[in-house]
Amino acid sequence: MNDLIPYIPSSIRDSLASLSFFSAEISLVLGFLLVILADLFFRKRYPQLSFILTLFTLLLVAYQSSGFLKIDSIPLFGGMIIMDHLSILFKLLFCLASILFVLFIWFNRTFQGHDKGFGDMYAILLAVHLGLNLMAMSANLLMIYLSLEMVSLGSYLMVGYLSSGQKQTEAAMKYALFGAVCSAIMLYGISLLYGFTGTLYLNDPEFLSGLKSLPLMSSGLALIMAFIGIAFKLSLVPLHFWSPDVYEGAPTPVTAFLSTAPKIAGFAVLINFLEMFYDPGSKALHSTMLDLNYILAFLAILSMLLGNFVAIWQNNIKRMLAYSSIGHTGFMLMALFIFSTSGFKAIIFYMTIYVIMNMAAFMLVDEIEEKTGKQYIDEYKGLGKQNSLLMISLLIVLVSLTGLPPTVGFTAKFLVFSSALEAYNLSGSPILLVMIIIASISTVVSLFYYFKLPLNAFLRESPDPVQLSYRSAKVYMGIFLAFLLLLLIVFPSMLEQFI
Amino acid sequence: MNLLSILIFLPIVAVLLILVLPSAHQQRFKYISLGVSLIQFILSVFIYTRFNNTSAGINKEEQFQLIEKLPWIRLDLGSIGKLEIDYFLGIDGLSMPFLMLSALIMFVATLASWEIKTNLKAYFSLFLLLNTAVMGVFCALDFFLFYIFYELMLLPLYFLIGMWGGARREYAAIKFFLYTLFGSVFMLLVIIGLYFSVLNPATGNHTFNMILMMDPGNYIEGSVFSAIAGQSIFGISARLLAFIVLFIAFAIKVPIVPLHTWLPDAHVEAPTPVSIILAGLLLKVGGYGILRICFSIFPDSAIQSAWWIGLIGLISILYGAMNALAQTDLKRLIAYSSVSHMGFVLLGIASATTEGISGAMLQMISHGALSAMLFFLVGMIYSRVHDREISSFRGLAELMPQFTFFVMIAFFASLGLPGFSAFMAEAFSLIGAFTSEDVNGLLPRWMAIGASVGILLSAAYFLWTLQRMFFGQIRLKGGDVWKDQLVDVNTREKFALVPLAVLALLLGIFPSLLFDKMNASVLALVQLITG
Repeated sequence: MNDLIPYIPSSIRDSLASLSFFSAEISLVLGFLLVILADLFFRKRYPQLSFILTLFTLLLVAYQSSGFLKIDSIPLFGGMIIMDHLSILFKLLFCLASILFVLFIWFNRTFQGHDKGFGDMYAILLAVHLGLNLMAMSANLLMIYLSLEMVSLGSYLMVGYLSSGQKQTEAAMKYALFGAVCSAIMLYGISLLYGFTGTLYLNDPEFLSGLKSLPLMSSGLALIMAFIGIAFKLSLVPLHFWSPDVYEGAPTPVTAFLSTAPKIAGFAVLINFLEMFYDPGSKALHSTMLDLNYILAFLAILSMLLGNFVAIWQNNIKRMLAYSSIGHTGFMLMALFIFSTSGFKAIIFYMTIYVIMNMAAFMLVDEIEEKTGKQYIDEYKGLGKQNSLLMISLLIVLVSLTGLPPTVGFTAKFLVFSSALEAYNLSGSPILLVMIIIASISTVVSLFYYFKLPLNAFLRESPDPVQLSYRSAKVYMGIFLAFLLLLLIVFPSMLEQFI
Repeated sequence: MNLLSILIFLPIVAVLLILVLPSAHQQRFKYISLGVSLIQFILSVFIYTRFNNTSAGINKEEQFQLIEKLPWIRLDLGSIGKLEIDYFLGIDGLSMPFLMLSALIMFVATLASWEIKTNLKAYFSLFLLLNTAVMGVFCALDFFLFYIFYELMLLPLYFLIGMWGGARREYAAIKFFLYTLFGSVFMLLVIIGLYFSVLNPATGNHTFNMILMMDPGNYIEGSVFSAIAGQSIFGISARLLAFIVLFIAFAIKVPIVPLHTWLPDAHVEAPTPVSIILAGLLLKVGGYGILRICFSIFPDSAIQSAWWIGLIGLISILYGAMNALAQTDLKRLIAYSSVSHMGFVLLGIASATTEGISGAMLQMISHGALSAMLFFLVGMIYSRVHDREISSFRGLAELMPQFTFFVMIAFFASLGLPGFSAFMAEAFSLIGAFTSEDVNGLLPRWMAIGASVGILLSAAYFLWTLQRMFFGQIRLKGGDVWKDQLVDVNTREKFALVPLAVLALLLGIFPSLLFDKMNASVLALVQLITG
């Protein structure tokens, strides 16, 4: 203990200095507390207070984060977390997803009518958001684990929040059990890594050299175990089993949130995790011990194939979107093979569009489900004739998810393809080319299932036509987001200038 | 505002107008669409008359006409440099004729749209969106822009076939969509590979400019598609592979045998105006793409593959014609005749001679007009009695003399009667294929000889159909009811048919109307290919 005394003042100074960069997270903590208090004391009198507080907190966090947009990488709290341009971008993306989620919940009827109210949900959201932010910045294995758990625990609560019906309980239970196992494996992997290398800091040179000196079996096993926790969050094949059930069972806004924000955070962690294997000389990942390129390419291929092909057979829309999001994860993974600005640009661009598309898709689908109870694709027959604006917006979103012009989904897809081809160009490894070809084929496959919705809505007649009312904020938001998808292909610089 | 931009975006303005007008006015939408295509036609005629014959274009940017170039997307990609996408339009002798054709076909298709009775707002919005996409494809000189317009054609077509089509419309629509998309996603990969390989010498950025892609000097040393580096993928030369991928993407549109199976379904299930656009314009996008992109950017691979392309052309000619002979549905017969006639385009292109490519171009324009006319004529019968089986009709000549007159023009023109455009076009394609052995040794003579058998076959199926349906005693499947329904050509239909017939005749007698305009470009293209 006495040995540590001389270090205390410097570490306190370091922590205090770090606090000024930590303002966004502090706001989140304060917001979290305020929302709980507001919900406790003012729920009856000002029911909208927690909503306003959450929204305000998130906007503040976005504003504070964007202030650091131009910084270089800064290690904070003794290197536990590292703040750089990329992590700020991730944080801004989380804000986008969370803000859309807050609005989504507020206008969701099931939540409106539920006696639990919104307060707790918003509090959980802010806590999860804090976890997401930490995930994006973490540079230490322990920090990764803690932030991951923080997000996971919050997510379990979100899925089971309404606890309406057996399906939802089952989904929450499945999610929690599967998550717990994965995080246990991950923790075990981390402890092995710590034992092998003697450090928990990913950017510590000893980490890599320690791993290199080990036989492949031990280092590979430890890495793969640690990786499982991340793959779970990303719902990569073969750790995807939870996602279709959870997506189907969870309340739709929660599904929309889970399919975007934690997934993106998973990518952030993956990037932080892979960064240590990055070899600036060859602009690719080190392949001295375990060929990570192969493993990642393999996972990407599996996810794209399984996600897209299984989606064909789904009739429940949320389930279909769940499988398609597995496919999207595999697709996004392709951008990671090039560990440079172009790859990150592509992935951030894609993710931003992905958040917009997914949120819009779930909002519109949720609106239709609320008004008509339709949640199966073949029930959409003839919906397009009466509700053209709503269904055209949904169509635009689906076209964008497929990645076709005239929507910005195409630009995003194009950028990811570019960075994957660049990686192939640099490394020349055939598996990357195979991956790219599979990605192209799965685009064609995805058209087939995405277009089952417009096929039913526009091409088929319904025996009993339904006319939906447009007086709903969710519809307006969905239409606005769809319009954004059209606008951004013409003016991609609106988005690109920030990246 | 440039003329080409007006040509492209005028329909979009009309779409907005249609969308804001209440559905109570839906009977007027067709006049809006008609007005748009009329203005486009006048503009394209204006462009035609002002067109500079001597300016070749092809691989010289300064020789393109009506150029419009605005920076669109500039993306900093860090280590590999900057990405440069322009809004870049321009025309040369290869694209200008298609602008006129597009405007004319759209005009005729709008007249055929009088038959559409349901959901007019959606119909005309999609129709005009398609118009924009087609015009854009023929004007775009930036590959990214080209691809966007190219893909943009798919969506409206999917819904046009799917919502207003026949009994098996769902199947036909998705089949068409999947086929074309399959070709074009791989095309996207080639586009990305190309922009990695090509630098704009003026700015040092990675560019999508097609014209810069045609100059081997702009390729980065050692890049995938650099001709000098000679990289290979899976053991095949990268450039050849890219050429094949692009060729397949466009060949699906043309279509070639064996990638043609979407065509009979799509044509038969589509409503008449959409069949007209499909046959009149969409197939031409395939041919145009092969000339503008495959052959111009990868001339070395084009020479390598010319024999195979010629063979594919020959097979398409013969296989299409034989299939047409076997059809009992008139619309299906014409669909297969399209496969056969487009084979001449491939054969002409593959010969890489001035005659062959001029013939191919003329064949595309001529077939555009004639197939539109044929589909329009089938549509007329179908809209009257909702039947188009050949065996259901006999002796129509007596019942509908004017109709039979137009059918005879269309049939005789299509089978290559001298004096009509198809004769000129097929003759030039065949001359090109025949002389190719002497000029550049790409195609053997037997291909040209085999192709002339195709003309014979097309005479057989057209004349046989003429005999079965129009001559002899009147005998109709629907009896006297049909007799009353089968009224002769009305004024609106004459408005649609006459310009097409005039065009076919005009180009048959004065092919120089077109040859003069595109000769410089064709020469430059041949020069580029055979070096």
